[in-house]
Amino acid sequence: MEVAVRTDREGRHACLVPAGPFDLAHVTAVVKAVATAEPRLDGCRSIDVDLADIERIDGTGAVLLAQLLDRLEAEGLRTQVDQSRNPEAARLIALYRGRRAELPAKIRAPGVFARFGAAAAKFPGKILPAFDFVGRCAAALPKAISSPGSVGWRSLPKLVQEIGADGLLVTSAANLLVGLIIGFLGVSQLKRFGSVVFVPELVVVAQFRELGPLVTAIVVAGRTGAGLASELATMQVSEEIDALRSMGFDPLRWLVAPRCLALVVILPLMTWVGDVLALAGGFIATESITDLTPRTYIVETGAAITAENLLSGLIKTPFLALAIGMIACGQGLATRGGAAEVGARTTTAVVQAILGVILIDAVFTLFYALVGI
Amino acid sequence: MQPRRPHIIVDDLRIGWGARVLMEHVSFEVARGSTFAILGGSGSGKSTLLRYLIGLERPMAGRIVVEGVGEPHRHEGMPYFGVLFQSGALFSSMTLAENLALPLAAWTPIRGATARYLCQAKLDLVGLGQFAELLPGEISGGMKKRAGIARALMLEPDLLFFDEPSAGLDPITAADLDQLIVTLSRDLGITVVIVTHELPSIFLVADDCIVLDKASKGIIARGDPRKLREESDIPFVHNFFTRSSPGASATRRE
Repeated sequence: MEVAVRTDREGRHACLVPAGPFDLAHVTAVVKAVATAEPRLDGCRSIDVDLADIERIDGTGAVLLAQLLDRLEAEGLRTQVDQSRNPEAARLIALYRGRRAELPAKIRAPGVFARFGAAAAKFPGKILPAFDFVGRCAAALPKAISSPGSVGWRSLPKLVQEIGADGLLVTSAANLLVGLIIGFLGVSQLKRFGSVVFVPELVVVAQFRELGPLVTAIVVAGRTGAGLASELATMQVSEEIDALRSMGFDPLRWLVAPRCLALVVILPLMTWVGDVLALAGGFIATESITDLTPRTYIVETGAAITAENLLSGLIKTPFLALAIGMIACGQGLATRGGAAEVGARTTTAVVQAILGVILIDAVFTLFYALVGI
Repeated sequence: MQPRRPHIIVDDLRIGWGARVLMEHVSFEVARGSTFAILGGSGSGKSTLLRYLIGLERPMAGRIVVEGVGEPHRHEGMPYFGVLFQSGALFSSMTLAENLALPLAAWTPIRGATARYLCQAKLDLVGLGQFAELLPGEISGGMKKRAGIARALMLEPDLLFFDEPSAGLDPITAADLDQLIVTLSRDLGITVVIVTHELPSIFLVADDCIVLDKASKGIIARGDPRKLREESDIPFVHNFFTRSSPGASATRRE
């Protein structure tokens, strides 16, 4: 039987006869049948509803019929459902009757300018907690030194393993490739001036001073920053951080301090290993496409490696590490709500950590340029 | 009174992880339209058994037959049951109305105003009509569970599974939820399978039950919970239904 709603009229009285399957599987047909029947009842004063021809009914069909009856009654019609003809359908329809005449107004999505304005208005509210977090970290430092037992030192070896040893392969591969790129690029540019012999120095200066710390920190920000942020965010939403607080632990000292310390210790070492591999990359690139002898390349590289070049790069890394650790942990601890917020905070942590790393590197470069290093 | 047809038949089920058997020789039937409770102490495998009943795990042996699966009025592949998980399991990035509309969007052509209408009707049914546009993070634990029930009802299942519905709720909210379960079972004719160890819930909602025991790796009692409370001579079952500790009874005996 097809879905239909018959309307048998006798003057100002009508008999409404829904027929066929009134269920979820036939909902489109039910909606259409109800919509076509409604105008045919214009001018009626009373309606009897005969449910005998309903082949099957579920909640969806009952909702649609109940709301039709509610609408008709709201327009002043008197409706009477014959319960004896199909008690099950009558009971289901009665369950959904009189629940709500109208849908609540849907909140309109704000326009582009409104969203831009709202984001701008929220900016101070977002930046202030960041300053507050930095301030609380700074205040926690002397407490951590004066009361070493309040710091989660026991997690430090595991953190060093996870951040350092487990991530070394990725940072090493990235630096090796960067060394290759600088090598190929240097050869292609310097060859035109017959100055291929300066390629080793270019690799050393570019890698040691800028790219080594930057590339390593960006990879660590992506890998470890995401890991730390999601770990602390999950702890926050599962109330583990509250449990720590309730037991008298300061999460900044117990969780943030060891993570930041592990990063500060590990990042210079990873950068140093990355620098060595970048030199190898530069060597492979140069030797594969030029006539420069390996001995010359090595001698020139040795001459270019000065304490100034090496240290001007490595000295940045603890600052970059601290930025990654504090941003990731800060975002993790600021998480409120559920699973979606964990993902959002992790994404924010990675984006901010990468931007922070680039910003700090730029500040150092500007400083070196100003003081002539 | 004529006995009701079985809705679920569990036949000689053996379940476990790897080579470790958690339960075996588990056989029972759930009557259509009844409210059936799976009971047992902590760690007895109640929630694990539920995971098998809803098809999240494959049994090592035995079978679970659900009568009426694949009926022509349902789309092929459409879930034939609804589940209320312990936490409500609402998607935190969506409003309650969007959570409810999700199964409709996946399995039916219903969109737009009709979908909103149906979601609103289900939210009204569980008493959350005013909160359709709120996020799960903005409502209480009891409301989340009610919204979870409304979502479970969206595809008009004739079988509902509840995992510890009263867990973490205050007695009044828990009683409200129990009453809602009774209403769903009575007014919508839905078969309800409920995992719980809350005694007031059991006596209010359950027509029939099984009691699981960790040590026996299976069912140690079955029947009407009220009768089991009065008549069972199995010590664990007696202690379970009378909320007494084995240690206390031993002390009393002395």
